[in-house]
Amino acid sequence: MFETSLCQILFYLLAALAVLCAVGVVAYRNPVNSAMCMAVSFAMVAAIFFGMGAQFLGIVQLIVYAGAILVLFLFVVMMLDIHDEGKSRGSSVHATVGVLIAGFFAGLIIVTAWNLPGATEASCPARNLCSSMGELLIGDARTVSEAPATTPQYGSYLPELSPAAAARMENPAISEEEAAKATSISDVKLLGKCLYTHYNIPFVILGFALLSGTVGAVALARKIRKD
Amino acid sequence: MIPLAHYLILSGILFSIGLAGVLIRKNIIVVFMCLEMMLTASNVALVAFSRAQGTAGVPVYDAQVLSLFITGIAAAEVAIGLALIVAMFRARRTVESTALNTLKD
Repeated sequence: MFETSLCQILFYLLAALAVLCAVGVVAYRNPVNSAMCMAVSFAMVAAIFFGMGAQFLGIVQLIVYAGAILVLFLFVVMMLDIHDEGKSRGSSVHATVGVLIAGFFAGLIIVTAWNLPGATEASCPARNLCSSMGELLIGDARTVSEAPATTPQYGSYLPELSPAAAARMENPAISEEEAAKATSISDVKLLGKCLYTHYNIPFVILGFALLSGTVGAVALARKIRKD
Repeated sequence: MIPLAHYLILSGILFSIGLAGVLIRKNIIVVFMCLEMMLTASNVALVAFSRAQGTAGVPVYDAQVLSLFITGIAAAEVAIGLALIVAMFRARRTVESTALNTLKD
């Protein structure tokens, strides 16, 4: 019970900090302050990923966003000597219209999330949708069809992670007793298995996108000689 | 335990703050930071759905792979975008989005 409440307190604390720092990104006039706020916000999101059991994505979030992307932003901010920061914000009418549009959008998302069918019932809304769609399944049909038999009564909460089931998924040859001994999920192994089997070709294409991004960045930012 | 809806609301709020930043700010670098924030918000929603959709306590890893792709594309996008901003600064000596009005005049 203590553990559960600790998880809850941590999530709400981290979420509040992430939102606060995100507001800081928009509110600060100095782009360096904005970049620092962005780093803290992304670090908090990474901590929320850890809390959800997605350790690999949390690490990637820290390294790529809070590490590489932040350094790039700071580098450009420092390299371009931006002098007139006082005028970086528009008129108050402009700001009000922007906040109104974003607030309307936020309200729309919050109301939609709050009224998800099943938010108050004892089943996951997304799975209900999948099972009612019958043949119109996207993805692995086998996984969905065997879902109702093993559905725990977790309401709209995220289900508990089961190390035993993960061990069996990782190595189907393993016996029930062996699987039951597993104490933690090897998130990286399962993610890698999915990435390098189902999504192998998109992953290679992503590599090409990164390569062309690097080449394009060098080509765009280089100084054009006049001679 | 935290309901799925709370993760989605957090994601929506982060996305909306990013949207507000894109609409309000004039400094293109900050606009770009807000774009990154919107991508991160979508990652939060994806990971939350991957947990909620999991069968027998194992998350659906397709959603996490998609989230990883978003992170990779975001990295490439930042490289290109910042190079464009540097090129724009060379041509105009400013990074204000209001300065890009050649076609309007």
